[in-house]
Amino acid sequence: MPLHLEIVTPEDRVYDNTIDSVVLPAATGEMGILPGHIPVVAQLEAGELQVTTNGKTELLVVGRGFARVEGDAVSVLAESAINEEQIDEKAVEEAIARAEKALTEAGDSDPAEVERLEGLLRFTAAQLIVKRRKR
Amino acid sequence: MELVAASKMKRAQQTALAGRHYAVLLAEILASIAPRVENVSHPLLKKRPVKTRGILLITTDKGLCGPLNSNLFRVITEIEGEAKFVSIGRKGTQFLSRSGRDLLADFSIDDQVTFREVRLVAEFMIEQYLAGNIDTLEVVFPRFVNTLVQESATVSLLPIPDLKTMIESLRSHSKPEENERPATNDDREMLFDPDAPSLLKALLPLYLNREIYQFALNSKASEHSARMVAMKAANDNASNLLDDLTLEYNKARQAAITQEILELASAGSST
Repeated sequence: MPLHLEIVTPEDRVYDNTIDSVVLPAATGEMGILPGHIPVVAQLEAGELQVTTNGKTELLVVGRGFARVEGDAVSVLAESAINEEQIDEKAVEEAIARAEKALTEAGDSDPAEVERLEGLLRFTAAQLIVKRRKR
Repeated sequence: MELVAASKMKRAQQTALAGRHYAVLLAEILASIAPRVENVSHPLLKKRPVKTRGILLITTDKGLCGPLNSNLFRVITEIEGEAKFVSIGRKGTQFLSRSGRDLLADFSIDDQVTFREVRLVAEFMIEQYLAGNIDTLEVVFPRFVNTLVQESATVSLLPIPDLKTMIESLRSHSKPEENERPATNDDREMLFDPDAPSLLKALLPLYLNREIYQFALNSKASEHSARMVAMKAANDNASNLLDDLTLEYNKARQAAITQEILELASAGSST
C-alpha cells in the first residue's frame, strides 16, 4: 500500500503526492517511513527529505518544522520547502554569504534576529549540501 | 491607485487562503498531542495577574485608506490602565509615539507578508511575555469582513486559555468541510519524537506565530480594500467636480458669446 506525502508551508501546500517511502530529517536523527509505520509526531530539523517513488529518489529541502505519520498519510509542516531541482546554487551561495555577514554584524545585540538568521543559514546550507551531492 | 489597490487586495486574499492548509495541519498535530499533555504546565499556558497589558497594533505604512487607521486608534485610546505597545506599520508607530504611549518596539512588514518577518515579531512578544514585561498579548488589527467592511478587532492571544481553544481558533480560519478529513482508523499508540511535552513547547510559539501571520495577512487585505474604496470615492468625487466645473465654464462662455452678439447687433442697428 503506497504512502501519501504532503508538505505544507505557511505560504502554500508545496507537495502532495503518492510515494513509496520517505526519509525525514527528524531532530533526533533521520527517520525512514515505510507504509505501515507506527503513528508518530516528530520534530524536524532543517535538512533533506528523501522521497522514493517507483525506485526513483527525489530530494527536497525543508526548513524546521514537524511531521506527522498517521495511517498511510505523512504530513510535513515546515517553515519552508524547496525541490532539489529548483535550487540555484549561485543564488544559494549568495544568500549564505549575506546571512553570514548579517550574522556577524548583528553580533549578540538581538537574539531574535540572530536566531532568525541562523535558521535561514541552516536552510540555505542544507540546500547547498544536497545540490552538491547530487553531482 | 484604485486599480493597483484592487490587484494587491486580490493577492493578499489569495495568500490568506493558501495559508489555510497550514492552519488545519497544525490544528491536527496539536489535537493528536493534546491528550498526552493535559497536565503539563507551560509558562505560556499559565494565567497570571494582569498588571501591564501588551498590545500589538497592526496598521498600514501609508495613508489614503479611509478611516482604517483612525478606527484602530480609537480602540487604542479607549484602553485604560497600564499597557505597553508594539507596533507593526508606520502609521501606528507615529500615533503611539505622538500620544506618548509606552512603545516597546516597532516592526515593519512588506506588502507581501512572509512568515519569517512575522516570526521576528512573535518571538519578541513571547520574550517580553516570559520576561514579565507584559502580562497579556492582545492584537489590535483591522479585520477583513468584505471589500466594503473592515472592523477593528481585538484578539487576545496570551496567555493561551487551553489547547482546545487553540485548536478551535486554528480551525476557524478554514471552511468546516476541509476539517472533515477521512478519519484514519489507526488506533495504534502514537509515538512522539522527542516526547510530547517538548513537542508542545516547540508548537506553542509556532501557533502564536501562525496566528499573528494570519492577522497580518488579514490587515493587509483590509488595507488594500479600504484603499480601493477610498480611491474609488475620490475618483468619483473628482469626476463630479469636473462635470460641474465644465458646465459652469460652458455657461460662462455661452453668456460671453451672447453678450458679444448682442453688442454687435445693437452697434449695427444704431448706425
